[in-house]
Amino acid sequence: MTYSVGELILIACSYLLFLFLVAWITERGWLPARLVRHPMVYVFSLGVYASAWAIYGTVGYAYQYGYNFLSFFLGISGVFLLAPILLAPILRLTTTYQLSSLADLFAFRYRSRLAGMLTTLMMLAGMLPLLALQLKAVAESIQVLSGAENARTLAFWFCLLMVLFAILFGARHTTAREKHEGLVIAIATESLIKLLAFVGVALFGLYGVFDGPGSMGNWLEDHPEMLSRLYYPLQDGSWHSMIMAFFVSAVVMPHMFYMAFTENLNPRALITASWALPLMFLVMALCIPVILWSAAASNAPTPPDYYSLGIGMVTGGGGALLGYLAGLAGASGMLIVATLALSGMCLNHLVLPASPLHQGTNLYRNLLWTRRVLIAAILALAYLFYRMIGTEHSLVELGVLSFVATLQFVPGLIGALFWPSGNRNGLFAGMLVGFVLWLLALMIPITWPQWRFLPLMDLIGIRFQTGASQWQHVAIVSVTVNALVYAIVSIVTPMSRSERNAAEACAVDSLRRPYRWSLQAQSVEDFINALAQPLGPVTARREVDMALRDLRLDHRETRPYALRRLRDQLETNLSGLLGPSVAHQLVDDHLPYRPEEEQQSSEDIRFIESRLEQYRDRLSGLAAELDSLRRFHRQTLLELPMGVISLGADNEVIGWNLAIEALTGISAEDTIGSRLDTLPSPWGELFSRFSQQDDAHLPQHSVEVDGQSRWLSLHKSEIAASTGEQAGGQVLVIEDVTELRHMEAHLAHNERLASIGRLAAGVAHEIGNPVTAIACLTQNLDGEQDEQELQTASRQIMEQTRRITRIVESLVTFSHSGGLSQALHSPVNVRDTVAEAISLLQLDPDHRQQPFDNDCLAEHWVQGDAQRLLQVFINLLGNAADASEQQQPVRISSDRHERGIDIRVEDQGHGIPEELRDALFEPFVTSKAPGRGTGLGLALVYSIIEDHRGSILVESPIHDNHGTRFVITLPIADVHTPAQEITP
Amino acid sequence: MYTDRLLIIFIIGAYLLSPAIIDWWSEGGRAWYRPYLIWLGLIALSYWVARSRDTDDL
Repeated sequence: MTYSVGELILIACSYLLFLFLVAWITERGWLPARLVRHPMVYVFSLGVYASAWAIYGTVGYAYQYGYNFLSFFLGISGVFLLAPILLAPILRLTTTYQLSSLADLFAFRYRSRLAGMLTTLMMLAGMLPLLALQLKAVAESIQVLSGAENARTLAFWFCLLMVLFAILFGARHTTAREKHEGLVIAIATESLIKLLAFVGVALFGLYGVFDGPGSMGNWLEDHPEMLSRLYYPLQDGSWHSMIMAFFVSAVVMPHMFYMAFTENLNPRALITASWALPLMFLVMALCIPVILWSAAASNAPTPPDYYSLGIGMVTGGGGALLGYLAGLAGASGMLIVATLALSGMCLNHLVLPASPLHQGTNLYRNLLWTRRVLIAAILALAYLFYRMIGTEHSLVELGVLSFVATLQFVPGLIGALFWPSGNRNGLFAGMLVGFVLWLLALMIPITWPQWRFLPLMDLIGIRFQTGASQWQHVAIVSVTVNALVYAIVSIVTPMSRSERNAAEACAVDSLRRPYRWSLQAQSVEDFINALAQPLGPVTARREVDMALRDLRLDHRETRPYALRRLRDQLETNLSGLLGPSVAHQLVDDHLPYRPEEEQQSSEDIRFIESRLEQYRDRLSGLAAELDSLRRFHRQTLLELPMGVISLGADNEVIGWNLAIEALTGISAEDTIGSRLDTLPSPWGELFSRFSQQDDAHLPQHSVEVDGQSRWLSLHKSEIAASTGEQAGGQVLVIEDVTELRHMEAHLAHNERLASIGRLAAGVAHEIGNPVTAIACLTQNLDGEQDEQELQTASRQIMEQTRRITRIVESLVTFSHSGGLSQALHSPVNVRDTVAEAISLLQLDPDHRQQPFDNDCLAEHWVQGDAQRLLQVFINLLGNAADASEQQQPVRISSDRHERGIDIRVEDQGHGIPEELRDALFEPFVTSKAPGRGTGLGLALVYSIIEDHRGSILVESPIHDNHGTRFVITLPIADVHTPAQEITP
Repeated sequence: MYTDRLLIIFIIGAYLLSPAIIDWWSEGGRAWYRPYLIWLGLIALSYWVARSRDTDDL
């Protein structure tokens, strides 16, 4: 049964239009997202691997090499069975760094434009036979079915059709950032159609040629040579190497790389693909022996490559069309995807590096058109190759040419993932040697049999082999030599720092260790201006906006950490647009780091931490234990009830714990990566001033927060530069002592009330005298008529009243002093303050007779709060008077020296019992009888003196087992300076 | 670390078992579908691993 060429071309056009319709519907969003992102869509889209080679070529392969055909399917199944181990790292890399092809990956990993360029050129050369195979298969299938004479013309028209559809499917967007959902769904549909049609062909054979499986079994019994032909190749040792060849080439083939990684819509679908894709290929592989035997049994009138068509031609009933459709689907899917992938590689690694970016707003359009031209050029090259090699080569020969070529990338890929010491020199040397071997021992002898390099063939022992049969040998030799050269050259040649960084970024189970270098650009606007030069202002702004959106950052961002992330994101995004080499060069040139910073840079701890969080589930063994330890320490620091701020050497905040978050109300997210002085007021100024001061402690510093005073004690410690790249820094500990301060104030208030209570009797007495005087004067006034006398009495009454007022005022002032209001430090005259304390004490009847010798010098001024210092002296003098016998004087003297003014309070009393001396300044410690003292006085004195940044010492006994001396040292006041708030 | 170990075990296991598997396979005679059974077994194993795997790994 034959078909006309017109009918077959119409079927091809209708099929492609249907696929385009599917893609178009998807892109319009008419298909539910759940379906589009369903893992099975990804699995079917990977079916692009089964090109026309799988539909036609593998049947011919099975005919020629028996069970070896299974290696084609087992290879890719093996890769996907191990997907979580082998493919997930590549997917992570390609997604993280926007790498859309193997050339991108190599250029990124080996930090070399040349690596991308070489990979692209070699991939292009290596893939030409496989692309030509597709054109040949479709053209010849039309020829087989229609009997048309000129397959080349058919191939030409099919090639044109492919140019059109490849552009329609994949070259409507520019950047790899946008996934082509339409393309993915169309390729998945294509695979489904291909699978159904291929199974249909096998069923035609099974039930059309035979009468079912039983009948086929009987036929096989009658034809044991068919089975032994299938088993025979298992006896030679090439089977392993073939599986390995297909195993690895399945990943590096550009169309597979593109569908598996670049167009991956759902990363978790890789897990589903690990069992579903092998299942799909199992079904296809199961059909091949059935098709082979059916064709043999029915004497199909076609070469073995086209048995899939031959069965239908014998049985009729549309079986041949099914075979044609399966082949067409396989060929068109592979051509579209491979051309798109190759065009992206050529654009990023051949065109863009060669032509400088033209400034302007139409960058995206230029890229799109360049890509379209490249698609047409690649397909034209494939057609030219097809024309050049003639028609006598089988599909098998063309297929193996490509498979062995792609094997040359495998050592480089394995090195990229698993061997951080592999370098670009090794890659170049290995790939070139492998490629030259492939070219001389396989490509040239097969395509141009008259050109043979006999010495080389002698050397690798393939002199007497011909055609594709030598490919297994060449595959093993070339890839082994490639790997050896790669390893040896990598070991003996040095590696640059940027290449080492990239190698660590790519290596499985390793973390990239970025450095905290400062950028020259200090704001988002600087970024836009810097990029406007190469990209044009509109594109630059768009790219920066996009990167900011990706990172969820704001336009006002100035934090060094955030700007470094922005730079990385821009490089990643531009890599999706222009390829990693161009993007890296562009970002390096226009967004450079400050050169002077490089030497003192330290590792970006924050970034490493966030990476570790992502990698958590993948750590095991020692690494997992170390990570648990890290978490424990980190959590300890986070939960510490004191605020902790870690600073880098450049004053960049790298740690900000929960307590400091609660204290300042600023979240770690907003702070980390900022410089300390950029924090909001009052924190920025306070912390940065403290971090720069010499003194490592700042006790009880008052800060106004939301209209309320808070007291903080600040401490700091230098982090010494440890080994490695860490450049040291500081850790600040901030203690909120507001509560303590409130408690102290409360205690002080109680103490004052107690003092007032003790003074009350004296006060009554003091007030009693003037009141008596007033009473007498008033009585005398009764009968007094003399104006002069009246005025004198009135003046005396006023005087007595003023005396009362003075007593009351000094009491009221004393009882209200020392609250939590903002303390004012001003020059305080020591002698006057001591005198006031004495006069207050002498209100107390117990102390009225107590002699106090105020020997303080009038020119001694200390810096402090007069009211609180008054409290200090009242407490100390009161204690001294309590300890002294009647008439034993208490002496107060002052002395000036470099560090401050010493004020001595000495008594001749019984001294302090030895057991109390060490705990003297602790609350509730007293030597007085119960009911006489609260034990809070000296604690309060200590606290006030500490607040004044002074010191207090006690000596007891001072003479012959009696006497006590308190020495207070306070800072000297400059009497010319006005009062100021407490400052360090 | 963990993944490398798994890979090494798999490769060594496959290498050690392959002669036995190939022998069993090539003695199949009419049971030409033997390799498919092994293949199916591997798929079932992979399905079971995928089901029990924490997909957050990706």
